[in-house]
Amino acid sequence: MTISVGPVSDSIASWLSANGLPVSIAEILAVLLVCVLPVLGIVFPIAGVAQYFERKIAASMQRRKGPMVGATGIVDLVADMLLFWLPRWKRRAVARRVERLPVLGALLRQVRQWGLGSMAADGVKMFLKEDMVPGGADRFLFRGSTYLALTGAFLAFAVFPFSQWYHMGDPPVAALYLGAVTGLVAVSVLEAGWSSNNKWSYFGGIRAVAMIVSYETPIALAIATVCMWSGTMSLQGIIAAQYRPGWFSFSGWNLFQSPLLALLAGVYYIAALAECNRAPFDLSEGESELVGGFHTEYSGLRWGLFFIAEYSDMLLVGGIFATLFLGGFQSPIGEQWIVSLPPFAEAVVHTLIAVAKAVASVGFMMWIRWTLPRFRIDQVMKLAWTKLVPLALFCLFGLALTQLVAAQRVGVEQVVYGRYLSAPVVRMDFFSWVASWVVVGGAIAVVVWMAKSSAPIQSPEMRRLLGKEPA
Amino acid sequence: MALSFDAIFAKVQVRFPSTSAGSAPNGARWVEVPPPDALEVATFLKTDPDLAFDSLCCLSGIDLLKYPAAEKDGPTSDDLVCAYDLHSLEHRHEVRMKVRVPRAHPETPSVESVWGVAGYFEREIFDLLGVEFQGHHDLRRILTPQDWVGHPLRKDYVYPKAYGGVELKREGQTFESGPYK
Amino acid sequence: MNVEREGDYITLSMGPHHPATHGVLRLEVTTDGEVIRACKPDIGYLHRSIEKIGECVEWYQFVPYTDRVDYVCSMNSNHAWVCAVESLLSSSDETRLAIPERAEYIRILFAELNRISSHMVGLGSMTMDMGAFTPFLHALSQREFINDIFEKTCGARLTYNYMCVGGLVRDLHAGAEDEIRAMLKGLEKAMIDFNRLISSNNIFKARLAGVAAVSPEDAISYGLVGPNLRGSGVDFDLRRDKPYGIYERFRFDVPVGKTYAGADGRPGDCYDRYVVRLLEVLESIRICRQALDQMPPASGVEDDPVGGWCAAKAAQKALRKPPVGEVYFRCENPRGETGYHIVSDGTKFPYRVKIRTGSFTAMSIFEKLVPGLMVADLVALIGSFDIVLPEVDR
Repeated sequence: MTISVGPVSDSIASWLSANGLPVSIAEILAVLLVCVLPVLGIVFPIAGVAQYFERKIAASMQRRKGPMVGATGIVDLVADMLLFWLPRWKRRAVARRVERLPVLGALLRQVRQWGLGSMAADGVKMFLKEDMVPGGADRFLFRGSTYLALTGAFLAFAVFPFSQWYHMGDPPVAALYLGAVTGLVAVSVLEAGWSSNNKWSYFGGIRAVAMIVSYETPIALAIATVCMWSGTMSLQGIIAAQYRPGWFSFSGWNLFQSPLLALLAGVYYIAALAECNRAPFDLSEGESELVGGFHTEYSGLRWGLFFIAEYSDMLLVGGIFATLFLGGFQSPIGEQWIVSLPPFAEAVVHTLIAVAKAVASVGFMMWIRWTLPRFRIDQVMKLAWTKLVPLALFCLFGLALTQLVAAQRVGVEQVVYGRYLSAPVVRMDFFSWVASWVVVGGAIAVVVWMAKSSAPIQSPEMRRLLGKEPA
Repeated sequence: MALSFDAIFAKVQVRFPSTSAGSAPNGARWVEVPPPDALEVATFLKTDPDLAFDSLCCLSGIDLLKYPAAEKDGPTSDDLVCAYDLHSLEHRHEVRMKVRVPRAHPETPSVESVWGVAGYFEREIFDLLGVEFQGHHDLRRILTPQDWVGHPLRKDYVYPKAYGGVELKREGQTFESGPYK
Repeated sequence: MNVEREGDYITLSMGPHHPATHGVLRLEVTTDGEVIRACKPDIGYLHRSIEKIGECVEWYQFVPYTDRVDYVCSMNSNHAWVCAVESLLSSSDETRLAIPERAEYIRILFAELNRISSHMVGLGSMTMDMGAFTPFLHALSQREFINDIFEKTCGARLTYNYMCVGGLVRDLHAGAEDEIRAMLKGLEKAMIDFNRLISSNNIFKARLAGVAAVSPEDAISYGLVGPNLRGSGVDFDLRRDKPYGIYERFRFDVPVGKTYAGADGRPGDCYDRYVVRLLEVLESIRICRQALDQMPPASGVEDDPVGGWCAAKAAQKALRKPPVGEVYFRCENPRGETGYHIVSDGTKFPYRVKIRTGSFTAMSIFEKLVPGLMVADLVALIGSFDIVLPEVDR
């Protein structure tokens, strides 16, 4: 095959050409199908549904119901419109009858109970809002920034490992490529802020660029460290290095290999939150300083594109977090038996697991967003340069030391995913693993304990406010 | 130590003989200060250790145009009065100081350098009553727009018929009724 | 993009429409990047000439206008006005009013409940400005219980018009006391949750600690009052030091700012003012409980001196011809000292009503305090001063 993005597109292309299409057209169609499917089939729906879930999560944390569009009964509304000649009680009776149908009725009842109509309402709102470009704005940049934001997000999805048999590309330097491509978000935010002809948007754009560029460093260090540990820069290789046969396949996950990797996971997650302009780092967009920061002047579908770009970014960094530290598309239990399934079934199961882990990450990001207040820009930069970067470097050197001292390189033949590995992986035997957790974990615990004991004692008023003392 | 009004006034009058004590039928008493001495009296009230009036609670402006005379058939005046309500946090005593300015040339020194909050109070009195405070760093209107005409809290204030090209009356109202009389 | 070049500074208009200014406040901010070099407040967008209206309506008719002077703490504003008028009337024997004791207790009970609900709004808005949206809604859901109680008694959720010269418009509704007690219990628990969620959060403390510290001398000189003054370390509370109503019968502590943020904090910073408000809520709960315990039972007779709710006839007679003179009466509102300087010319209309509010004087310190802060700190400052625009502009 001349045009191919992996075994899935190969098989689709050969099936198409076997059924009469010319080979080059079959190849192109297969590639398009494989590339478009994750975007349209996975990312867009999740981004669309994510807004509903974000609002519901926020509402449940805030002890309210959240959006309940459709709670007054979509069926009632449709019955009123279609059967307008009937008296009201008859229309209601028809509506109740429809809601008792087996499948459709159950769905409509759920719409009423959960307010699922808000998903449709959000979509309709995005399409119907007036699309305007502010006077004096740089029209080309104003329009282009949304497309650039989407491009940045989806370019990174090109190397996202949905399964070992289903992916859009597996370059041997995928990790490097990821770090490079996620930087496009910064450019798009700056472009949006500048071209809006609005000083507040400008502020938002500048802050976002400073923040994203600063947090590239901890992300790059974290990814580099994991690549060093796994011996390869290919994402499929990193996942393969976390494979363990047997029931407890989660024991291979990088998160559990060493406390330094667990620390690094924290560093990466925090830096990833900052990359998405999200959670405690949303000072460029959601600051009460101005309604939208860099996307204030965007309305309707243009804003919708920014919003989809943000959620795709969240999904992406959640997925990369899962890839680097949580074993990617591997199941936590019994991966050995999933691998022995036929390739198509294996691809489906793996994709579901990969997406589930990414969605769980996104949910955690939402939880963090509705809990924590936001940083100021200088605190954000301080956090990146004085806390995260030294921590990531410490983990890097610690893991290098661990590799030298405690671990051994295991040969390729001991790993099932052999065809994607180009270098041997690091393994620790049980005693080394325990020793690394005890020694390093103990050292970290001692440092934390020292920091806590040197912290000032809480004043009696604070203790009273926190309920530790009777009022 | 909290001092009574008489003790406070005695201390002030010794230093500034031009001040006098005023009173109202309901028992309110104040120190009446002529405008030229206002700043010095204020500084003295704040810095003297027995008085220590470090807090300017309220600076209100009063237009005496329609105020009844003190005695029956006595003289009324059309002066503008600035009433300074002072309070001492250390000694917990209070006093009121009043500065009367004639309507024709309503100028009095600003006490902004003594109590910082006077900056805003004086701007408000300038805006609503037209008293000019000399020495204020930025005396301009504060509550009404910068191009407003007139001083609204004066008793002879004439309501404008229009502002910014918009007529200021309701449906069915004429300019000869209601507040326009 | 047009950028006015005044050197390298940008002039921003934190304009009347802004999510963080809690109302129609305009701040002309000149910044050098993120750091502010000058700040000029521009107020008056909500000026409704309430003081001029006070000269056109009768003494007892002015009470609804005092509601709107600060609609977040209407009961306290009502209380200040009626106490000021009653103090004017008490200077002469013919017009002195004997307020029923139960009315006094209910006045204080509702004033303290309104203090709690006003602090819920202030604290919640501050956390929302800092980016934590959840505690705002937790605080407001507690405030809803207080609003429900007020609605059952007065008929309104926000501007109550409940106090009148001589007492109250009506007695408490049936079952009010048990409701209030139950609500206070729930409120205490909710406050502990609120504090665990946000008050000890490191990010929150980092945003507020050391920001815009106001020295006690500056606070006194620039007319800061209430929690703002106490946050700077000045121990002064009108309820304790110049008690009005029957506040001397209650035992409560007055929280004072003590650099609660620890090593990063400075005395009188935003975190101090925030914690002072939190502690004031607990103290108000104490006062409410004492008021409920000490309150005499209702007698059903309107002007019964112990169990009634209004000395109506005496008030009507007195307000037709009040004494000539003036009075300056100060009350402790949630936002500080609300003073009514009223001048009476003996007629049934006030001659001059001057309303001195805490937020207006808090604005006076902005030009001095803000240069050097970052734009995000300015948002924290406005929230920590708990500025409510109707009070500023009247």
